[in-house]
Amino acid sequence: MKLVVNTEVCSGHGRCYSLVPEIFEPDDNGYCDPNIADVPPELEARAMIGVNNCPEDAISVAKDGD
Amino acid sequence: MSGLESEVAAVALPREELLASLYEMAKPQPRYRELLADHGLVQTEAVAFSFDRENTQFVLRNHDLFSSRVEMHLGNVRPLIPLNVDPPGHSKYRKLLDPMFAPRRMEAQEGDLTKRANKLIDAFIDRGECNFTEDFAELFPSMVFLGLLGLPEDELPMFLRMRNGILHPEKIDPNAYGDFDVIAQVRKAMGQEIYEYFGDLVDRRRLEPGDDIITRFLDADVDGDKLSKEDILDIMFLFVIAGLDTVSDSLTCFFAYLATHPNHRRQIAQDPAIIPSAVEELLRWETPVPSGVPRVATRDVTLPKGQKIAAGCPVSVSYGAADVEQEAFGDPFEVRFDREDNPHIAFGAGVHRCLGSHLARRELRITLREWHRRIPDYGLKPGHEELEYPPGLRHVKDLMLSW
Repeated sequence: MKLVVNTEVCSGHGRCYSLVPEIFEPDDNGYCDPNIADVPPELEARAMIGVNNCPEDAISVAKDGD
Repeated sequence: MSGLESEVAAVALPREELLASLYEMAKPQPRYRELLADHGLVQTEAVAFSFDRENTQFVLRNHDLFSSRVEMHLGNVRPLIPLNVDPPGHSKYRKLLDPMFAPRRMEAQEGDLTKRANKLIDAFIDRGECNFTEDFAELFPSMVFLGLLGLPEDELPMFLRMRNGILHPEKIDPNAYGDFDVIAQVRKAMGQEIYEYFGDLVDRRRLEPGDDIITRFLDADVDGDKLSKEDILDIMFLFVIAGLDTVSDSLTCFFAYLATHPNHRRQIAQDPAIIPSAVEELLRWETPVPSGVPRVATRDVTLPKGQKIAAGCPVSVSYGAADVEQEAFGDPFEVRFDREDNPHIAFGAGVHRCLGSHLARRELRITLREWHRRIPDYGLKPGHEELEYPPGLRHVKDLMLSW
């Protein structure tokens, strides 16, 4: 699974990297670092916690072809 | 940095009765449910109130359509930085401030915060009771702030005075209770004191730099621009308002909830690992800052749910209602510390998301952890079961706890 972070919309709430540090990382300003490695199948459920806790809907799962 | 234009939109203060009808301070959630069901927008002559989550998110995210350049009536004579600044100027200030309040930086405060929290608890633990509001909640954030500023603890009374002068003017002048003219007088005088106090501090740090945020402001450089003394004062004014009071308010809301919900209290006492999740859930449920700074429409706008907002109309957005919206939370009227999906906006949303949110979270977590480690079993003091939530940000006056 591939995740896409909309850096225009991310406002640095930090919910993703606090809850799921094994997938999401903060940059120096506390915003979500958009360079996220592809998520292996066993971590997909964890990744969705990051997606679903974002108050800005800034993280999404890339569809085929993205 | 370039000076801000002094011209800001004048926002008429909504009448107190109207606010009281929209915001139940003690138990706001059922009222939010009614307002959400009823199209989620209340339009008055002076202000539009948004309760619908989608509309609220739209207002907060589209800063080009909804400006934050509003008069705050808080005793300040210039716009507050970065609260009253729109992009692109806003982005420049945030670029400078965000790293200073990023989670990694706040992590370094863990030991200092833990020590300060325990020192406050030491003062009353053997008594078996305390006025939680006055003995802990009002003191802790100001003490943390003194640490960030490199100031000694004997400056604490001055910080409480500044905070009260702007946000609880009735504590400075009892006549201010409910009287807007007296409130304005108290705030204006205190505003001057705040500018003078921090003006002196900036001058001192310029001569003798230290390991504190004012020194960092003086050293800071964003794209070749330095902060002016006025910039620093406008930031500090906001910190007094936003940094000292909101965490106090949140603490009183949280402990009032826990003192009256023993099952939730026991979950925290028995399993401290759930504290981070409990903090998020209590932030969502209590949403102590119930609504954001009003935004002013820069042109005629149609909201996502179809309502029209005229250019120049201020829009007040309800964080509290957005945090009990059915679609976003599924079972929003249940308080569940094991809630997996919790995209609450207790810290606002969009580019103005609370700068101090990561510090606030740390203060709240440390308090819950240290308190329940030392005082796991407590409740409302007998005879003090009636809780008073005065107007303003949501907080409990004189929350009396005993154990």
